[in-house]
Amino acid sequence: MKPTPTRIRVASVLLLAVLLLVWEWAARGFGLSSLVLPAPSVIAKALWNGLASGYFWPHIRSTGSELLAGLAIGCLLGFGSGVAMAESQVLRGLLMPYVVTSQVVPKLALMPLFIVWFGFGMTSTVVITALICFFPLMENTLTGLQQVDPQRLELFRMLGATRRQTLLRLKLPSGLPSILAGLRIAVVLALVGAVVGEFIGANRGLGALVIASQGTMDTPLMFAVLVLISALGMLIYHATLAIEKWLLLPYTKLS
Amino acid sequence: MSFLSFQQVAFTYPGWPPVVRDIDWNIEQGEFHCLVGRSGCGKTTALKLAAGLLRPNEGRIALHGKDVLAPGPELGFVFQSPTLLEWHKVLDNVLLPVSLQHRPGSQEVDKARQLLAQLGLESHAGHYPRQLSGGQQSRVALARALILEPSLLLMDEPFAALDAITREELQDDLLHMCRSRGTTVLFVTHDIAEAVYLADRVAVMHRGQIVRDIRVDIPKPRTTSTRYSAAFNARCAQVREAMDNAPASERLAA
Repeated sequence: MKPTPTRIRVASVLLLAVLLLVWEWAARGFGLSSLVLPAPSVIAKALWNGLASGYFWPHIRSTGSELLAGLAIGCLLGFGSGVAMAESQVLRGLLMPYVVTSQVVPKLALMPLFIVWFGFGMTSTVVITALICFFPLMENTLTGLQQVDPQRLELFRMLGATRRQTLLRLKLPSGLPSILAGLRIAVVLALVGAVVGEFIGANRGLGALVIASQGTMDTPLMFAVLVLISALGMLIYHATLAIEKWLLLPYTKLS
Repeated sequence: MSFLSFQQVAFTYPGWPPVVRDIDWNIEQGEFHCLVGRSGCGKTTALKLAAGLLRPNEGRIALHGKDVLAPGPELGFVFQSPTLLEWHKVLDNVLLPVSLQHRPGSQEVDKARQLLAQLGLESHAGHYPRQLSGGQQSRVALARALILEPSLLLMDEPFAALDAITREELQDDLLHMCRSRGTTVLFVTHDIAEAVYLADRVAVMHRGQIVRDIRVDIPKPRTTSTRYSAAFNARCAQVREAMDNAPASERLAA
Protein backbone atom coordinates (compact mmCIF):
# COMPACT_ATOMS: atom_id res chain seq x y z
CA MET A 1 0.00 0.00 0.00
CA LYS A 2 1.34 3.39 -0.95
CA PRO A 3 1.48 5.93 1.89
CA THR A 4 -0.83 8.63 0.52
CA PRO A 5 -1.52 11.72 2.67
CA THR A 6 -5.02 10.48 3.53
CA ARG A 7 -3.76 7.07 4.58
CA ILE A 8 -1.06 8.64 6.74
CA ARG A 9 -3.75 10.80 8.35
CA VAL A 10 -5.94 7.81 9.09
CA ALA A 11 -2.93 5.91 10.45
CA SER A 12 -2.13 8.88 12.67
CA VAL A 13 -5.63 8.80 14.19
CA LEU A 14 -5.43 5.03 14.58
CA LEU A 15 -2.12 5.42 16.39
CA LEU A 16 -3.83 7.69 18.94
CA ALA A 17 -6.59 5.15 19.44
CA VAL A 18 -4.06 2.35 19.94
CA LEU A 19 -2.06 4.40 22.43
CA LEU A 20 -5.19 5.26 24.40
CA LEU A 21 -6.27 1.61 24.43
CA VAL A 22 -2.84 0.46 25.64
CA TRP A 23 -2.93 3.15 28.31
CA GLU A 24 -6.42 2.13 29.40
CA TRP A 25 -5.46 -1.53 29.49
CA ALA A 26 -2.22 -0.85 31.41
CA ALA A 27 -3.95 1.40 33.96
CA ARG A 28 -6.57 -1.26 34.69
CA GLY A 29 -4.45 -4.36 34.26
CA PHE A 30 -1.64 -3.24 36.55
CA GLY A 31 -4.14 -1.77 38.98
CA LEU A 32 -2.39 1.59 39.00
CA SER A 33 -3.88 4.06 41.41
CA SER A 34 -5.64 6.84 39.56
CA LEU A 35 -3.62 9.14 41.80
CA VAL A 36 -0.52 8.19 39.75
CA LEU A 37 -1.85 7.46 36.29
CA PRO A 38 -5.62 7.60 35.78
CA ALA A 39 -7.03 5.63 32.86
CA PRO A 40 -8.21 7.64 29.82
CA SER A 41 -11.81 6.71 30.62
CA VAL A 42 -11.44 8.24 34.10
CA ILE A 43 -9.91 11.40 32.62
CA ALA A 44 -12.67 11.64 30.03
CA LYS A 45 -15.24 11.38 32.79
CA ALA A 46 -13.55 14.13 34.81
CA LEU A 47 -13.40 16.28 31.68
CA TRP A 48 -17.06 15.70 30.90
CA ASN A 49 -18.15 16.37 34.47
CA GLY A 50 -16.19 19.63 34.59
CA LEU A 51 -17.57 20.84 31.27
CA ALA A 52 -21.17 19.73 31.90
CA SER A 53 -21.34 21.17 35.39
CA GLY A 54 -19.91 24.46 34.16
CA TYR A 55 -17.01 24.21 36.57
CA PHE A 56 -14.35 24.64 33.87
CA TRP A 57 -15.89 27.50 31.93
CA PRO A 58 -14.91 30.49 34.14
CA HIS A 59 -11.35 29.12 34.20
CA ILE A 60 -11.24 28.70 30.42
CA ARG A 61 -12.62 32.21 30.00
CA SER A 62 -10.06 33.57 32.41
CA THR A 63 -7.07 31.91 30.73
CA GLY A 64 -8.45 32.72 27.29
CA SER A 65 -8.86 36.41 28.01
CA GLU A 66 -5.44 36.66 29.67
CA LEU A 67 -3.95 34.92 26.68
CA LEU A 68 -5.64 37.22 24.16
CA ALA A 69 -5.01 40.42 26.13
CA GLY A 70 -1.35 39.55 26.71
CA LEU A 71 -0.93 38.50 23.10
CA ALA A 72 -2.51 41.70 21.78
CA ILE A 73 -0.52 44.03 24.04
CA GLY A 74 2.77 42.18 23.59
CA CYS A 75 2.42 41.86 19.83
CA LEU A 76 1.43 45.49 19.32
CA LEU A 77 4.32 46.75 21.43
CA GLY A 78 6.72 44.28 19.82
CA PHE A 79 5.60 45.26 16.34
CA GLY A 80 5.84 48.96 17.13
CA SER A 81 9.32 48.67 18.61
CA GLY A 82 10.44 46.50 15.71
CA VAL A 83 9.31 49.13 13.21
CA ALA A 84 10.88 51.96 15.24
CA MET A 85 14.18 50.14 15.55
CA ALA A 86 14.23 49.15 11.87
CA GLU A 87 13.61 52.75 10.82
CA SER A 88 16.00 54.50 13.20
CA GLN A 89 19.62 53.48 13.28
CA VAL A 90 20.15 55.58 16.42
CA LEU A 91 17.36 53.81 18.27
CA ARG A 92 18.66 50.45 17.11
CA GLY A 93 22.20 51.15 18.34
CA LEU A 94 20.87 52.58 21.58
CA LEU A 95 18.43 49.81 22.50
CA MET A 96 19.83 46.66 20.91
CA PRO A 97 22.21 45.77 23.80
CA TYR A 98 19.34 46.06 26.29
CA VAL A 99 17.03 44.04 24.11
CA VAL A 100 19.59 41.25 23.82
CA THR A 101 20.18 41.31 27.58
CA SER A 102 16.50 41.18 28.44
CA GLN A 103 16.09 38.33 25.93
CA VAL A 104 18.34 36.04 27.96
CA VAL A 105 16.69 36.85 31.30
CA PRO A 106 14.16 34.05 31.90
CA LYS A 107 10.95 36.06 31.79
CA LEU A 108 8.95 33.62 33.91
CA ALA A 109 11.42 34.18 36.74
CA LEU A 110 10.07 37.74 36.90
CA MET A 111 6.59 36.56 37.86
CA PRO A 112 7.10 36.91 41.64
CA LEU A 113 8.24 40.49 41.05
CA PHE A 114 5.15 41.23 38.95
CA ILE A 115 2.96 39.92 41.77
CA VAL A 116 4.62 42.50 44.02
CA TRP A 117 4.06 45.23 41.45
CA PHE A 118 0.69 44.39 39.91
CA GLY A 119 -0.88 42.23 42.59
CA PHE A 120 -2.12 38.67 42.63
CA GLY A 121 -4.44 38.02 39.70
CA MET A 122 -5.13 38.78 36.10
CA THR A 123 -2.92 41.85 35.60
CA SER A 124 0.31 40.05 36.51
CA THR A 125 -0.50 37.18 34.16
CA VAL A 126 -1.35 39.54 31.30
CA VAL A 127 1.91 41.43 31.87
CA ILE A 128 4.03 38.28 31.80
CA THR A 129 2.22 37.01 28.70
CA ALA A 130 2.72 40.34 26.94
CA LEU A 131 6.39 40.38 27.88
CA ILE A 132 6.89 36.90 26.45
CA CYS A 133 5.08 37.79 23.20
CA PHE A 134 7.00 41.04 22.80
CA PHE A 135 10.35 39.58 21.75
CA PRO A 136 9.48 37.26 18.87
CA LEU A 137 7.32 39.97 17.31
CA MET A 138 9.95 42.67 17.74
CA GLU A 139 12.77 40.51 16.40
CA ASN A 140 10.88 39.24 13.39
CA THR A 141 9.55 42.69 12.54
CA LEU A 142 13.05 44.13 12.77
CA THR A 143 14.61 41.43 10.55
CA GLY A 144 11.66 41.45 8.16
CA LEU A 145 11.93 45.18 7.57
CA GLN A 146 15.70 45.07 7.23
CA GLN A 147 15.72 42.28 4.68
CA VAL A 148 13.96 44.22 1.96
CA ASP A 149 15.48 43.58 -1.46
CA PRO A 150 17.85 46.52 -2.22
CA GLN A 151 16.65 46.66 -5.83
CA ARG A 152 13.10 47.27 -4.65
CA LEU A 153 14.35 50.03 -2.37
CA GLU A 154 16.11 51.59 -5.37
CA LEU A 155 12.91 51.25 -7.35
CA PHE A 156 11.01 53.20 -4.69
CA ARG A 157 13.77 55.83 -4.66
CA MET A 158 13.57 56.09 -8.44
CA LEU A 159 9.82 56.61 -8.18
CA GLY A 160 10.27 59.38 -5.66
CA ALA A 161 8.51 57.55 -2.82
CA THR A 162 8.53 59.24 0.59
CA ARG A 163 9.92 57.48 3.64
CA ARG A 164 6.40 56.82 4.87
CA GLN A 165 5.37 55.34 1.53
CA THR A 166 8.47 53.16 1.46
CA LEU A 167 7.60 51.86 4.92
CA LEU A 168 3.90 51.31 4.34
CA ARG A 169 3.93 50.18 0.73
CA LEU A 170 7.22 48.31 0.49
CA LYS A 171 8.86 47.38 3.78
CA LEU A 172 5.81 46.24 5.75
CA PRO A 173 4.30 44.16 2.94
CA SER A 174 7.63 42.51 2.13
CA GLY A 175 8.26 41.89 5.84
CA LEU A 176 4.78 40.44 6.37
CA PRO A 177 5.76 36.75 6.05
CA SER A 178 8.48 37.22 8.65
CA ILE A 179 6.19 39.24 10.96
CA LEU A 180 3.51 36.56 10.78
CA ALA A 181 6.09 33.85 11.54
CA GLY A 182 6.91 35.89 14.66
CA LEU A 183 3.22 35.98 15.54
CA ARG A 184 3.04 32.20 15.28
CA ILE A 185 5.93 31.84 17.74
CA ALA A 186 4.35 34.44 20.04
CA VAL A 187 1.02 32.56 20.14
CA VAL A 188 2.66 29.35 21.35
CA LEU A 189 4.75 31.19 23.93
CA ALA A 190 1.73 33.20 25.08
CA LEU A 191 -0.06 30.07 26.24
CA VAL A 192 2.99 28.98 28.22
CA GLY A 193 3.17 32.47 29.72
CA ALA A 194 -0.48 32.57 30.69
CA VAL A 195 -0.59 29.08 32.23
CA VAL A 196 2.70 29.31 34.10
CA GLY A 197 1.77 32.83 35.20
CA GLU A 198 -1.39 31.40 36.72
CA PHE A 199 0.61 28.71 38.52
CA ILE A 200 1.95 31.30 40.88
CA GLY A 201 0.03 34.47 40.32
CA ALA A 202 -3.69 33.64 40.20
CA ASN A 203 -6.48 31.68 41.81
CA ARG A 204 -8.49 31.49 38.61
CA GLY A 205 -7.63 30.06 35.21
CA LEU A 206 -6.46 26.70 33.92
CA GLY A 207 -2.97 27.11 35.37
CA ALA A 208 -4.41 27.80 38.81
CA LEU A 209 -6.64 24.76 38.37
CA VAL A 210 -3.62 22.53 37.71
CA ILE A 211 -2.06 23.72 40.97
CA ALA A 212 -5.37 23.32 42.82
CA SER A 213 -5.81 19.74 41.56
CA GLN A 214 -2.29 19.00 42.70
CA GLY A 215 -3.22 20.31 46.14
CA THR A 216 -6.29 18.06 46.36
CA MET A 217 -4.40 15.14 44.78
CA ASP A 218 -7.08 14.95 42.08
CA THR A 219 -4.90 13.63 39.27
CA PRO A 220 -7.78 12.89 36.84
CA LEU A 221 -8.82 16.55 37.14
CA MET A 222 -5.24 17.62 36.47
CA PHE A 223 -5.14 15.51 33.29
CA ALA A 224 -8.50 16.89 32.23
CA VAL A 225 -7.17 20.44 32.62
CA LEU A 226 -4.03 19.53 30.65
CA VAL A 227 -6.29 18.31 27.86
CA LEU A 228 -8.14 21.63 27.97
CA ILE A 229 -4.88 23.61 27.85
CA SER A 230 -3.71 21.60 24.85
CA ALA A 231 -7.05 22.11 23.12
CA LEU A 232 -6.85 25.86 23.75
CA GLY A 233 -3.31 25.89 22.33
CA MET A 234 -4.35 23.95 19.22
CA LEU A 235 -7.30 26.23 18.66
CA ILE A 236 -5.37 29.48 18.82
CA TYR A 237 -2.39 28.07 16.88
CA HIS A 238 -4.58 26.86 14.03
CA ALA A 239 -6.49 30.13 14.01
CA THR A 240 -3.16 31.93 13.59
CA LEU A 241 -2.13 29.56 10.82
CA ALA A 242 -5.41 30.21 9.01
CA ILE A 243 -4.98 33.99 9.28
CA GLU A 244 -1.40 33.68 8.06
CA LYS A 245 -2.37 31.53 5.11
CA TRP A 246 -5.12 33.96 4.16
CA LEU A 247 -2.92 37.06 4.41
CA LEU A 248 -0.09 35.46 2.46
CA LEU A 249 -2.29 34.17 -0.34
CA PRO A 250 -0.88 36.58 -2.97
CA TYR A 251 2.64 35.62 -1.93
CA THR A 252 2.09 31.90 -2.38
CA LYS A 253 -0.66 31.54 -4.97
CA LEU A 254 0.76 29.92 -8.05
CA SER A 255 -2.14 29.25 -10.38
CA MET B 1 23.33 69.70 -27.15
CA SER B 2 22.95 65.98 -26.57
CA PHE B 3 19.92 64.43 -24.92
CA LEU B 4 22.00 62.68 -22.26
CA SER B 5 25.68 63.39 -21.84
CA PHE B 6 28.39 62.02 -19.59
CA GLN B 7 31.28 64.47 -19.26
CA GLN B 8 34.50 63.17 -17.70
CA VAL B 9 32.48 61.19 -15.19
CA ALA B 10 34.21 59.27 -12.40
CA PHE B 11 32.75 57.42 -9.44
CA THR B 12 34.53 55.86 -6.47
CA TYR B 13 33.36 54.27 -3.27
CA PRO B 14 35.52 55.77 -0.49
CA GLY B 15 38.68 53.72 0.04
CA TRP B 16 38.36 51.73 -3.20
CA PRO B 17 39.80 52.16 -6.70
CA PRO B 18 37.44 54.01 -9.04
CA VAL B 19 34.50 51.93 -10.28
CA VAL B 20 33.98 54.20 -13.25
CA ARG B 21 36.35 56.81 -14.70
CA ASP B 22 36.87 59.14 -17.63
CA ILE B 23 33.48 58.44 -19.12
CA ASP B 24 32.53 60.69 -22.00
CA TRP B 25 29.41 59.62 -23.81
CA ASN B 26 26.56 61.31 -25.61
CA ILE B 27 23.17 59.92 -26.47
CA GLU B 28 20.90 61.73 -28.91
CA GLN B 29 17.15 61.84 -28.58
CA GLY B 30 15.45 58.61 -29.66
CA GLU B 31 18.66 56.60 -29.89
CA PHE B 32 19.17 53.14 -28.42
CA HIS B 33 22.57 52.64 -26.84
CA CYS B 34 23.99 49.49 -25.25
CA LEU B 35 26.74 49.28 -22.67
CA VAL B 36 28.51 45.92 -22.82
CA GLY B 37 31.30 44.52 -20.72
CA ARG B 38 32.27 41.71 -18.42
CA SER B 39 30.83 41.39 -14.95
CA GLY B 40 32.25 43.99 -12.61
CA CYS B 41 33.40 46.38 -15.34
CA GLY B 42 31.30 49.20 -13.91
CA LYS B 43 28.44 49.19 -16.41
CA THR B 44 25.70 48.98 -13.78
CA THR B 45 27.37 51.81 -11.86
CA ALA B 46 27.40 53.92 -15.03
CA LEU B 47 23.68 53.26 -15.41
CA LYS B 48 22.93 54.17 -11.79
CA LEU B 49 24.87 57.40 -12.28
CA ALA B 50 22.67 58.22 -15.27
CA ALA B 51 19.61 57.46 -13.16
CA GLY B 52 20.72 59.78 -10.38
CA LEU B 53 20.76 56.87 -7.91
CA LEU B 54 24.48 57.60 -7.48
CA ARG B 55 26.22 60.98 -7.77
CA PRO B 56 29.51 61.21 -9.69
CA ASN B 57 32.62 62.21 -7.74
CA GLU B 58 33.99 63.97 -10.80
CA GLY B 59 32.53 65.32 -14.00
CA ARG B 60 28.85 65.83 -14.73
CA ILE B 61 25.92 64.03 -16.25
CA ALA B 62 23.34 66.15 -18.00
CA LEU B 63 19.88 65.33 -19.26
CA HIS B 64 18.54 68.00 -21.64
CA GLY B 65 21.59 70.05 -20.58
CA LYS B 66 20.58 69.98 -16.91
CA ASP B 67 22.48 68.07 -14.23
CA VAL B 68 20.96 64.79 -13.10
CA LEU B 69 20.73 65.29 -9.34
CA ALA B 70 18.05 62.88 -8.29
CA PRO B 71 15.79 60.29 -9.92
CA GLY B 72 12.66 61.75 -11.48
CA PRO B 73 9.61 60.86 -13.54
CA GLU B 74 11.36 61.61 -16.86
CA LEU B 75 13.39 58.43 -16.20
CA GLY B 76 12.20 54.86 -16.41
CA PHE B 77 14.38 52.18 -14.86
CA VAL B 78 14.21 48.42 -15.36
CA PHE B 79 16.23 46.28 -12.96
CA GLN B 80 18.00 42.94 -13.41
CA SER B 81 15.10 41.15 -11.75
CA PRO B 82 11.52 42.23 -12.45
CA THR B 83 11.21 43.62 -8.86
CA LEU B 84 7.42 43.34 -8.96
CA LEU B 85 5.56 43.67 -5.66
CA GLU B 86 4.11 40.21 -5.18
CA TRP B 87 1.30 41.45 -2.91
CA HIS B 88 -0.10 43.64 -5.71
CA LYS B 89 -1.92 42.41 -8.77
CA VAL B 90 -0.28 42.93 -12.16
CA LEU B 91 -2.36 46.00 -12.97
CA ASP B 92 -1.49 47.63 -9.63
CA ASN B 93 2.17 46.84 -10.22
CA VAL B 94 2.06 48.67 -13.54
CA LEU B 95 0.30 51.60 -11.85
CA LEU B 96 2.79 51.75 -8.95
CA PRO B 97 4.65 54.84 -10.27
CA VAL B 98 1.29 56.62 -10.52
CA SER B 99 -0.18 55.43 -7.22
CA LEU B 100 2.88 56.67 -5.32
CA GLN B 101 1.99 60.17 -6.53
CA HIS B 102 -1.80 60.10 -6.40
CA ARG B 103 -4.78 57.79 -6.71
CA PRO B 104 -4.76 56.51 -10.33
CA GLY B 105 -7.56 57.98 -12.46
CA SER B 106 -9.56 56.01 -15.00
CA GLN B 107 -7.42 57.43 -17.79
CA GLU B 108 -4.27 56.06 -16.18
CA VAL B 109 -5.90 52.70 -15.56
CA ASP B 110 -6.86 52.57 -19.23
CA LYS B 111 -3.31 53.40 -20.20
CA ALA B 112 -1.95 50.63 -17.99
CA ARG B 113 -4.38 48.16 -19.57
CA GLN B 114 -3.35 49.34 -23.01
CA LEU B 115 0.34 48.84 -22.19
CA LEU B 116 -0.41 45.34 -20.91
CA ALA B 117 -2.38 44.63 -24.07
CA GLN B 118 0.52 45.76 -26.26
CA LEU B 119 2.73 43.32 -24.38
CA GLY B 120 0.20 40.49 -24.71
CA LEU B 121 -0.73 40.46 -21.03
CA GLU B 122 -4.28 41.87 -21.00
CA SER B 123 -5.70 38.64 -19.57
CA HIS B 124 -3.21 38.70 -16.69
CA ALA B 125 -4.09 42.15 -15.30
CA GLY B 126 -5.89 40.60 -12.32
CA HIS B 127 -3.25 37.99 -11.52
CA TYR B 128 -0.50 38.17 -8.93
CA PRO B 129 3.13 38.29 -10.15
CA ARG B 130 3.85 34.82 -8.74
CA GLN B 131 1.30 33.41 -11.17
CA LEU B 132 3.27 34.66 -14.18
CA SER B 133 6.26 33.18 -15.99
CA GLY B 134 9.65 34.92 -15.89
CA GLY B 135 9.16 36.44 -19.34
CA GLN B 136 5.71 37.75 -18.41
CA GLN B 137 7.09 39.29 -15.22
CA SER B 138 9.78 41.06 -17.26
CA ARG B 139 7.06 42.42 -19.54
CA VAL B 140 5.13 43.75 -16.54
CA ALA B 141 8.31 45.45 -15.32
CA LEU B 142 8.68 47.05 -18.75
CA ALA B 143 5.07 48.25 -18.71
CA ARG B 144 5.63 49.74 -15.24
CA ALA B 145 8.72 51.59 -16.48
CA LEU B 146 6.74 53.03 -19.41
CA ILE B 147 3.54 54.08 -17.62
CA LEU B 148 4.77 57.62 -16.91
CA GLU B 149 5.95 57.97 -20.53
CA PRO B 150 9.60 58.61 -19.61
CA SER B 151 11.77 60.21 -22.26
CA LEU B 152 14.73 58.11 -21.11
CA LEU B 153 14.63 54.42 -20.29
CA LEU B 154 17.53 52.88 -18.37
CA MET B 155 17.75 49.12 -18.35
CA ASP B 156 20.11 46.93 -16.34
CA GLU B 157 20.39 43.46 -17.92
CA PRO B 158 16.60 43.08 -17.71
CA PHE B 159 16.45 39.89 -19.78
CA ALA B 160 19.54 38.13 -18.43
CA ALA B 161 17.60 35.46 -16.54
CA LEU B 162 15.33 34.47 -19.43
CA ASP B 163 15.67 31.63 -21.92
CA ALA B 164 16.97 32.50 -25.40
CA ILE B 165 13.68 32.50 -27.28
CA THR B 166 11.75 34.46 -24.65
CA ARG B 167 14.61 36.94 -24.57
CA GLU B 168 14.43 37.47 -28.33
CA GLU B 169 10.66 38.04 -28.13
CA LEU B 170 11.17 40.59 -25.40
CA GLN B 171 13.89 42.34 -27.38
CA ASP B 172 11.46 42.76 -30.27
CA ASP B 173 8.73 44.01 -27.92
CA LEU B 174 11.14 46.48 -26.37
CA LEU B 175 12.32 47.84 -29.73
CA HIS B 176 8.72 48.19 -30.87
CA MET B 177 7.54 49.96 -27.70
CA CYS B 178 10.46 52.38 -27.69
CA ARG B 179 10.33 53.18 -31.39
CA SER B 180 6.63 53.97 -31.29
CA ARG B 181 7.17 56.33 -28.35
CA GLY B 182 10.49 57.83 -29.44
CA THR B 183 12.00 56.74 -26.12
CA THR B 184 15.75 57.08 -25.69
CA VAL B 185 17.29 53.97 -24.17
CA LEU B 186 20.52 53.14 -22.38
CA PHE B 187 20.67 49.37 -22.04
CA VAL B 188 23.28 47.45 -20.05
CA THR B 189 24.04 43.85 -20.99
CA HIS B 190 26.85 41.33 -21.10
CA ASP B 191 25.31 39.57 -24.09
CA ILE B 192 27.03 40.68 -27.30
CA ALA B 193 24.30 39.50 -29.69
CA GLU B 194 21.65 41.26 -27.58
CA ALA B 195 23.64 44.50 -27.65
CA VAL B 196 24.17 44.41 -31.42
CA TYR B 197 20.54 43.47 -32.14
CA LEU B 198 19.11 46.28 -30.04
CA ALA B 199 21.55 49.13 -30.38
CA ASP B 200 22.27 52.04 -32.64
CA ARG B 201 25.57 52.33 -30.82
CA VAL B 202 27.45 49.96 -28.55
CA ALA B 203 29.88 51.16 -25.89
CA VAL B 204 32.33 48.50 -24.73
CA MET B 205 33.36 48.97 -21.11
CA HIS B 206 36.41 47.59 -19.39
CA ARG B 207 37.63 48.32 -15.87
CA GLY B 208 35.42 51.35 -15.49
CA GLN B 209 36.25 52.93 -18.82
CA ILE B 210 34.56 52.99 -22.20
CA VAL B 211 37.19 51.44 -24.45
CA ARG B 212 35.34 51.22 -27.77
CA ASP B 213 32.48 52.96 -29.53
CA ILE B 214 30.85 50.81 -32.19
CA ARG B 215 28.10 52.12 -34.43
CA VAL B 216 25.61 49.47 -35.55
CA ASP B 217 24.32 50.56 -38.95
CA ILE B 218 22.20 47.48 -39.63
CA PRO B 219 18.88 48.71 -41.06
CA LYS B 220 15.74 48.73 -38.94
CA PRO B 221 13.32 47.24 -38.14
CA ARG B 222 15.45 44.24 -37.29
CA THR B 223 13.94 40.79 -37.41
CA THR B 224 14.92 37.23 -36.63
CA SER B 225 16.62 36.95 -40.03
CA THR B 226 18.82 39.90 -39.02
CA ARG B 227 20.32 37.68 -36.35
CA TYR B 228 21.69 35.33 -38.99
CA SER B 229 22.92 37.96 -41.45
CA ALA B 230 26.57 38.52 -42.29
CA ALA B 231 26.48 42.19 -41.26
CA PHE B 232 25.09 41.24 -37.84
CA ASN B 233 27.76 38.63 -37.26
CA ALA B 234 30.47 41.03 -38.37
CA ARG B 235 29.30 43.57 -35.78
CA CYS B 236 29.19 40.90 -33.08
CA ALA B 237 32.72 39.85 -33.95
CA GLN B 238 33.81 43.47 -33.73
CA VAL B 239 32.33 43.86 -30.23
CA ARG B 240 33.82 40.55 -29.16
CA GLU B 241 37.24 41.59 -30.44
CA ALA B 242 36.96 44.89 -28.54
CA MET B 243 36.14 43.01 -25.33
CA ASP B 244 39.02 40.56 -25.80
CA ASN B 245 41.61 43.19 -26.60
CA ALA B 246 40.46 45.68 -24.03
CA PRO B 247 42.93 44.69 -21.30
CA ALA B 248 45.92 45.43 -23.53
CA SER B 249 44.74 48.67 -25.04
CA GLU B 250 42.75 50.32 -22.21
CA ARG B 251 42.23 53.41 -24.26
CA LEU B 252 39.47 55.00 -26.21
CA ALA B 253 39.60 53.78 -29.80
CA ALA B 254 38.69 56.88 -31.67
